[in-house]
Amino acid sequence: MLGRVLVGVAALLLLVFPLLSDDAYYQNMVILSLVFAIAASGLNIIMGYAGYVSLGHGAFIGLGGYTIGVMATRFDTVSPWLWVPLAGVVTMVVAIGLGFVSLRSSGASFVIITVAFLFLAQVVAVNWVGLTGGSGGLTLPLPGWDASYLNWPFYYALLGLLVLQVALSWWVRRTKLGMGLVAIRGDESKAATIGINLPVQKIIGFAASSFLVGAGGAVYGYYLTFIDPRGMFGILLSVQIILSLLIGGSGTLWGPVFGAFLIEPLNEVANNQFGGGNIRLLLFGGLLALVVIVLPQGVLPAIEGLLLRRRTAGKAGLVGARIRTEGVSLESLTSRNAGTVETAAPHAILQVQDLSKRFGGLRAVDHCTFDVRQGSITGLIGPNGSGKTTVFNLIDNTMSANGGTITFDGHRIEGLPAWDRAHRGLGRTFQITRLFRDMTVLENVVAAQRAFSMSQLTHIAVSGPEAKAAEELLQFVGMRDFRDQKARALSYGQQKLVELAQVLMLDPKLILLDEPAGGINPVLIERMGDMIRELNSYGTTFLIVEHNMPFVLDLCERVHVLGRGATMATGTPEQIRSDPAVIDAYLGEDFELEPERVQ
Amino acid sequence: MTEFLQYLVLGLLVGGVYALVASGLSLVFGVMKIINIAHGAFLILGAFLAYTIWSRLDIDPLLGIVIILPVTFVIGWGIYWAAVRPVRSAPIASTVLLTFGIALVVEALMGFAWGNNATSIRPGYGSESFHLAGLYMPKAQVYGGLVAIGVLVALGLFLTRTWLGRAIRAAAINPTGAELIGIKVVTVSALVFGIGTAAAGAGGAIIGVLYSFVPGTHYVWIARLLAIVVLGGLGSLNGAMIGAVVFGLAETFTAAYVSPAWATAFPYLIVFAVLLIRPQGLMGSRLREDAVAT
Repeated sequence: MLGRVLVGVAALLLLVFPLLSDDAYYQNMVILSLVFAIAASGLNIIMGYAGYVSLGHGAFIGLGGYTIGVMATRFDTVSPWLWVPLAGVVTMVVAIGLGFVSLRSSGASFVIITVAFLFLAQVVAVNWVGLTGGSGGLTLPLPGWDASYLNWPFYYALLGLLVLQVALSWWVRRTKLGMGLVAIRGDESKAATIGINLPVQKIIGFAASSFLVGAGGAVYGYYLTFIDPRGMFGILLSVQIILSLLIGGSGTLWGPVFGAFLIEPLNEVANNQFGGGNIRLLLFGGLLALVVIVLPQGVLPAIEGLLLRRRTAGKAGLVGARIRTEGVSLESLTSRNAGTVETAAPHAILQVQDLSKRFGGLRAVDHCTFDVRQGSITGLIGPNGSGKTTVFNLIDNTMSANGGTITFDGHRIEGLPAWDRAHRGLGRTFQITRLFRDMTVLENVVAAQRAFSMSQLTHIAVSGPEAKAAEELLQFVGMRDFRDQKARALSYGQQKLVELAQVLMLDPKLILLDEPAGGINPVLIERMGDMIRELNSYGTTFLIVEHNMPFVLDLCERVHVLGRGATMATGTPEQIRSDPAVIDAYLGEDFELEPERVQ
Repeated sequence: MTEFLQYLVLGLLVGGVYALVASGLSLVFGVMKIINIAHGAFLILGAFLAYTIWSRLDIDPLLGIVIILPVTFVIGWGIYWAAVRPVRSAPIASTVLLTFGIALVVEALMGFAWGNNATSIRPGYGSESFHLAGLYMPKAQVYGGLVAIGVLVALGLFLTRTWLGRAIRAAAINPTGAELIGIKVVTVSALVFGIGTAAAGAGGAIIGVLYSFVPGTHYVWIARLLAIVVLGGLGSLNGAMIGAVVFGLAETFTAAYVSPAWATAFPYLIVFAVLLIRPQGLMGSRLREDAVAT
């Protein structure tokens, strides 16, 4: 509430600022602040949401500036304003190209490519004299409006762009696209297993983060009326943008705007009171290092956290509450599996053939072959180190195999990326849960994407049908009361339940469960078993890795035993229990299933 | 043909200097998974130190490396404890910004200490050359290349033949495992950051003899160095060496046969090409991204 009032007051001030002051110094300062606010808010989409640092956003301003410079000096009969949207498009196209080069892999190479782009842009601007005028730069025609308007047309154009940028940023954060980007920041390879198409989403995110920055850069270039490589592609431009974002609060809506209006006046003071140059470097460099070390989350989130702590002081948290374990049946599940129960000719939904994985000389999975029948609950057991989790990793492409084939639902999938496998109906939970720790429980569930389409990326994730389906799933696993808690506040057992709901959001045909009963209390184990049975009755197939023998043998109709990376036995629980080889390798001579522990 | 041979030797010599500096950058990335943007600034710092040693104490700048190595080592070691250690487990996005900030601060401090005018070091042999079988070899290049290779060999022996060197490699391969067998990874990391900085400092002293420099030159160098380690494969020491030599040769030939003006664009184009065609570089294996996050 307080936040909204503050934003409203600030917006009103910005709107009427020209009426309050016509001082050229402050006018310039506010105009530059707007440019940096647009750029920082744009950068926020790729760096704040997706966690990918771009040191090249300063060069997007330059690219916008050069677009208007080159066009306006060549076509002097049309209004330069016409080139502002073009500048946005040019910048976006370049960003998509850069993204294509670097965003297919992760982290480090993206940073390096954005640095390389920044310097390359400068070299091109200096050397391509015919287009850019070289180091001498380009001089734009002076604006044609009445001198009494001063620079206010620039001001309002930038203010308009900032409004658009903040709106874009707000909208992206609420869509499936934004949810995917935040998931990528949290845990990229996990994001792939819940159907998030990493390269496409990152490239779209990068394009979205660049468009209005280019347009803003064009207005900035027009405002300066002089464009040269130093001013347009200087590294400090990028530093100031990053600093604005970091200080204000990376990943927040208003942080980057706030940060820009904080840093630009500092910059002016360093330039005018202290002669710029080295002092400005020292200020920016020192602040950058200091913020990373001392205040990595930024000013606005820090204040927010402080207020939240004061408000909730003395109140008990919800996260310790007992999980409601009464069964809730599902209405929204499961369109994909409907009808499959009837046609119960038991063909294999998953066939693994000669699957192999080596880590150096160690063969973790060695020509492993087994299948999982449609509609079954199948167990995969074996001693520690026998390769169970590695097999899971190979099936969902968390790792890539060295050889062998995987056939899922009649199609070979071993060459497909993880998100494609998820879209085909393969879901997987992890032995050590991998929720997105900074997202709420609800966000974790809606982050899953059961199919990929451009239009689906624009769906609003946090409300409407997506959220409704997610809430139903949370209700099913008994975690609905926790929907607005951050995932990192949950206990291990609660995280297991949320991860199950997250996977169910994929509407999977086959779910791989990695130790569903590990580390949770007996009541919850029982509830877990009930849920698996209920989901199975709707037609979902399960493959379960588990060390809790009573749990597995009671639940599964068929069990595969792994030893040294290969399947050593297959059969019904009774057959496995009495197989001498299995007893020798895994269960032990004295294994005896105590019936009273299974209910 | 003679001309070609001459560029070949020059390219190899400059490649040796690149290899020394790039090995420091690669070592830091290998152990800490930090892209040290400040590495170029440390290089220029080495060049300024060599300049001061040469102009004030009248000691040969290449000989001055004996002094520069410990000085830059301590600087790097100190920076690690003061600034890098608090964020050592932060994602790459944070550490890259931190080292970027450090680079700017070092640049500013060098500006205060030595001024922003072009500086060059001209020892007596600076304008002399060896003439051998029709080849024309500037003495500074030859001495510089040999010294770089000497320091590099010493570094290689240290990493492979000493307990500490093996501890460093262990920490690079598996930090958790290294902790379990009694290697204190934080201490090792501080040492590695110091060694990396010293490699940059020593390389900088040589480079200062070959080219003129200002504090802001470090951007050009970090771009080159990043191109080299990307080419060789991030974190692979052998890759960095091979990348450096390939890069030195390619750069020398481009400047000689294509155009010196566009040779400045060369490093960036290499980065683009490598990441497009072979993202893991010549020698690198793809980073494991599949490890279960805890």
